[in-house]
Amino acid sequence: MSAVAAKPQAGGAMNPTAMAVGVVMLLIILALCWYVSPGMGLMALVGITIGGVLIGFGTHFVPVGGAPAAMGQAPGIATGVAMLAAGAGLAGLFGGAWAAEQGLVVATVTGGVGGGLMMAITCMMVNFVYVFGMGIPSASGKVAKDPITGDTQAEFKSQGTEGHGLPFVSFVGGVTGGFLGGAGGTLIYLQLLGLYEASLPAVMGLPPAQVIPIAVAAAGMFAVGMFLVNAVLTAYNITGTIEGPHDPKFKRWPRAIVASAVASALCGFVAILIVAL
Amino acid sequence: MEQIVFGIGITALTGALATIAGSAEDTESNIGSQGDPNSQVQLAPQMGFLHRIFNKAIAGEPPAYGLWCALGAGLAWAFMAMQVNAVLAIVLGCVLAVFVQGVYATTAYLGRTASLAKFGQPVFVDVLTSMTSVTMAHAFIAIFATVTLCHLINSALGHPFPLPLLGLIWGIALGAAGSATGNPYYGKERQYQNQKYGAGVPISASGNIVRYAEAGERNSLDNGFFTHKIGGSASGVCFGLIVFLEIWRTILFEKVSAGWGAIVVGILMILIFTVADRYIEVWARKTYGPYAEAKVVS
Repeated sequence: MSAVAAKPQAGGAMNPTAMAVGVVMLLIILALCWYVSPGMGLMALVGITIGGVLIGFGTHFVPVGGAPAAMGQAPGIATGVAMLAAGAGLAGLFGGAWAAEQGLVVATVTGGVGGGLMMAITCMMVNFVYVFGMGIPSASGKVAKDPITGDTQAEFKSQGTEGHGLPFVSFVGGVTGGFLGGAGGTLIYLQLLGLYEASLPAVMGLPPAQVIPIAVAAAGMFAVGMFLVNAVLTAYNITGTIEGPHDPKFKRWPRAIVASAVASALCGFVAILIVAL
Repeated sequence: MEQIVFGIGITALTGALATIAGSAEDTESNIGSQGDPNSQVQLAPQMGFLHRIFNKAIAGEPPAYGLWCALGAGLAWAFMAMQVNAVLAIVLGCVLAVFVQGVYATTAYLGRTASLAKFGQPVFVDVLTSMTSVTMAHAFIAIFATVTLCHLINSALGHPFPLPLLGLIWGIALGAAGSATGNPYYGKERQYQNQKYGAGVPISASGNIVRYAEAGERNSLDNGFFTHKIGGSASGVCFGLIVFLEIWRTILFEKVSAGWGAIVVGILMILIFTVADRYIEVWARKTYGPYAEAKVVS
């Protein structure tokens, strides 16, 4: 079928066979990890997979309008999906890594709040520029009323556009996406850090104090890399722009969850093999 | 107590550096036309509107700044490992990173513009020679400020990540904040200055960007001068707030209730920004009013 003849909605269709194949691949990777490193390695891989799923799911919440938003032709933030999610999530990872010594729960929540705070500031400043710099109010192009505030949208859309700015539901979506992304990135980092700190002294034949900088750097690099893998993967699922949780494209998230789980498990397995073999 | 005061001082310094970095980043990307609005610079010749605007958007701002800041931080880190003074090491690292940015800008402009040859868009050598150095100067300010704040976070505040990794993380965040906040002002307000104020650009007007200035043809330096006043300042405030508040809540409240203090303060700050955002949204709806009467559904 040519691109012209393809159905416009085809991008949103779920393929049960592909999703079943994805789940089987995930189980195979987990089984391989259990074979190579049954205890700590497998636990780390489960944590990494959950972290990747959080990133993939969270990216769907981030309101991204891409190039049309830069001209006030569509609502959302005027940049790329993966880039904005990565910016927020990595800001969260920065905070989460700082709190790593305070335990898994505190560090993960700290990372989430860091990502949410970055998105809250960014979303507010976006609306600030639209309203005070350009004189344009917020309006959604996908819903008649804001699902949270109940504000009507159609009459605030300027002529010839699909809306502009960030309606309140998009702001909330951005903060939620930043929270999930920051928490997911931090969870991946903590899992790898714990594994490397326990395994690297034996692998490298060095005292534990000397391997900590290496463990921190390696876990951090893998966490950043896996963050980008999941954010880009989700960007393909979104195909361009999304307004937030009220956008019809948001319903595609189950597909991204499976894809993120498989991709994170595969990347995490490679990261575990460094110390398992 | 002394340590907390020292931490607050460093936090204030990193916030100031981040503000400078955000402002310089947005202005650099607007002079180089690297953000999403560059879609119109690329589209214009295809619609018959030839122009003299720089065109280097072969990567988004976040990955580009992630690369340049990681490069600057990595080289500075290497120089410091060679016992070079920290200030000199950061300057040298950033200078080398800016040369990479200059090569990127040159090849990007030539490549992107050459791809428009079939539409008659020429490569202007004077645009290349006069604009590239200006984008490099702004990039140096942005990279230097970011690498310096990363060095302060690492050496003075004790963050566990090594300097190159901090450069990558804050470089990506810098590009994300700068492009999110600054792009609409360049894209709508500057490129489409001939359209109505207070409304989005109609999709039918796409590609018809303003190409003439008060005297002669508009160039990218004019765009940087114009957008810096609001778009650049807003981007600086945005990135400055992100860096300052993230570090501030950690430095002051990390020890409270085994880490939960920083979390609670972070949530409170999110709520404050939520209220501020809602106020801005409602203010705009009341002050500007609707574009058309609401349709009554019977």
